[in-house]
Amino acid sequence: MRFLPISILFLLITSCSLQTTKNLIVKEVSHIEVDNPYFSNTYIDYIYKAKIDIYGRKFGGILIIKKIDENSHRVVFTTEFGNKLFDFLFENDTVINNFVIEELDKKFIVNTLQNDFKLLVSQKNKVLNQFDSGLEDIYKTIDDKQFNFYFINKKSHILDKIVRTSKSKVIVEVLFSNVESVIANSILIHHKNIKLNIGLELFKKD
Amino acid sequence: MYKYVFILILLLFSSVQAQEEKMTVFEIESFKILIKEVAEKTNTITADFVQIKHLNFLTNDIETIGKIAFKTPNWVKWEYTKPYVYSVIFKENLILINDGGTKSDVKISASKLFKKLNDLIVKSVTGDMFDEENFNISYYKEAAAYKVIFASKDKKLASLIETFVIHFKKETGAVMEVKMIEPSQDFTKIVFTNRIENSKLNDEVFTN
Repeated sequence: MRFLPISILFLLITSCSLQTTKNLIVKEVSHIEVDNPYFSNTYIDYIYKAKIDIYGRKFGGILIIKKIDENSHRVVFTTEFGNKLFDFLFENDTVINNFVIEELDKKFIVNTLQNDFKLLVSQKNKVLNQFDSGLEDIYKTIDDKQFNFYFINKKSHILDKIVRTSKSKVIVEVLFSNVESVIANSILIHHKNIKLNIGLELFKKD
Repeated sequence: MYKYVFILILLLFSSVQAQEEKMTVFEIESFKILIKEVAEKTNTITADFVQIKHLNFLTNDIETIGKIAFKTPNWVKWEYTKPYVYSVIFKENLILINDGGTKSDVKISASKLFKKLNDLIVKSVTGDMFDEENFNISYYKEAAAYKVIFASKDKKLASLIETFVIHFKKETGAVMEVKMIEPSQDFTKIVFTNRIENSKLNDEVFTN
């Protein structure tokens, strides 16, 4: 009897067309929250060289992320020369738009950027469902009308990937690699519905 | 006790004031002539630079290191070597970018604001920014340098960079330091060293 709700859920999930959960086994939720640890240390300035490819147009810059206090992150993007292009403050569930250069100040662009970086810095996320791929534990969370899936490698216990989806489609994937001391040296934000990729490489220390 | 602390602060403050004086009209004119002469006889410049980005919420400033090359009439190669490899060449109406091997060309006319900003960055290398139409300019002298503050008159530009502060070496008129201060008081400071003038620079230096 205990397995009945799980089986029904499994049927429901496999019957919808979302690729992300295809062939995954539904598990009982074992954690209330899933943790994204990458931007969680208030003592660290997270500085990345960024390469953006939008519909074939390539440009670069510097992405700066700082956890300001328990509930807020500052995310600033500048050109290589240091000119600010945008400056967001993420506080709990709200985003404060400190600055956006006029050229980028279009609703669609600002929303996309804010959604991407919110996904990147959201630290504690309430788990809705849990899955198993064999290699990873996958935690599903809800954010507004969309869902986020956190892929945690069973062997390394490292967060490898976050996937944001609608009910039926993948919207964006965030891939973390070369992780050392809870810092991801390489990050790729790969959009599936628009031709936008953001590649991030952590500043190297001498 | 507090009285002495107060006097000490006053003394410190007055000594800071004494280090920086307003230039007289005569000094300003002679300084402008010096800069013009330097610009006229300088065909090429190479220099190393350290760029410091200060954001008030960060624990440490962000430091990047690189080299610049300038050749008359107006070609500039700005090259970052650490902690990443990136170069940008300003040449006529083109910006040639090489972002760690990814090459791209941008026509400057694409954005008026970027054109303005790029022009200023290029001009700051030679110190050729004495444009009274676009800036309120004020002149100061320090022990070894002239300090010139360019306050943006243009509202759009001022929303990005409120003031440019350039330090010129007193004897030679060479640009030592450029500081770009944003309305939030965050700033980018570029300090030039190992400046060499009029060495031979092939055109190939300015290709991507």
